[in-house]
Amino acid sequence: MFRSNSYARTGTILLVTGVLVSAIAYFVLSLTWLTALGISMLILSFVLLSLSRTIPRLPPEVCSLLLQTGMDNMATIIEELGIKGKAVYLPSSLAGGRPQALIPLHSNPTLPHITRALPERFIVRYGGRPDDVGLLLSTVGSAAFRLLETRPGPTSHSLEAALTTLLAGTLGVAGKIRVASRENHLTVEVHDPWLEDHVGWHHECLGGPIASIVASVAAEAWDKPIVIKQETKANGNCTIELEVAGENLQ
Amino acid sequence: MKIYNSYILSLTVVLPLTAVILTAVGLRALNYFFPIFVLEAISITELFVYLNNKARQRLTFVSALLFGAFLVYLTVKVAAILSKVL
Repeated sequence: MFRSNSYARTGTILLVTGVLVSAIAYFVLSLTWLTALGISMLILSFVLLSLSRTIPRLPPEVCSLLLQTGMDNMATIIEELGIKGKAVYLPSSLAGGRPQALIPLHSNPTLPHITRALPERFIVRYGGRPDDVGLLLSTVGSAAFRLLETRPGPTSHSLEAALTTLLAGTLGVAGKIRVASRENHLTVEVHDPWLEDHVGWHHECLGGPIASIVASVAAEAWDKPIVIKQETKANGNCTIELEVAGENLQ
Repeated sequence: MKIYNSYILSLTVVLPLTAVILTAVGLRALNYFFPIFVLEAISITELFVYLNNKARQRLTFVSALLFGAFLVYLTVKVAAILSKVL
């Protein structure tokens, strides 16, 4: 009846125990407090059995393998091409219907000025200069953004709510999220992140998986290209500094 | 699954603790326990707004079920009182 996971097993045990305890306590022992404990067990069992049906079919280990394979392939491409520039996270309006990361082949100190949607190709030309060529890639953030029901608005409060829903609620890879904006910079604090992150060359370019998700969601919220300026980890928290193309955010 | 665990932990602590406190203050009728349990379960569920959509749908169903049981209980009690009065 129920998929076998720890929630389903615990829920079933609590359901049986709750029925037995409350029935015996009420009809045989006439103990109100024990009946109440039996009822609380029943409520907990309903909750556990309901939640057991919402757990993903794939075990976390398989998901981790798939993520790692994708990241490794991306790292290989970036390292083999010797790309040192930072990826620009584009909103769906500029990247063919879904947020994607543009990796300029030639590093540029300023954010590229992209005004029209780029073609859905692996190698794209994004500007008028001969050097304005880059790779357009889907990242973890591209896929994660689809899990959001609504597109967040261009405010730090709205972004904070969207990231909390996504990272803490849906994906369960972080505790709480705090977002602060200053001029054209966003500072996102991710408390208790636990997604595995292998630091390498590609990490400098694309950022970690959580930073990638944060940048993709922020790019969609402001509908502007975004770059991960810095990603630091301290005291079990991760602080991500983003730069948004254009002028002030407020 | 962190948020699931926090939610379940909150319920696991609050519900039995309520039973202990109500018993300790001398409220020994089952009439007090069930409505408070239902209210607490619904309130805690509402506090966890960041649960994913699928989980929220399922928990809304559980909340509706509990509220329905509470209404049935209330109806039975009101009927008993009315039958005594009339």
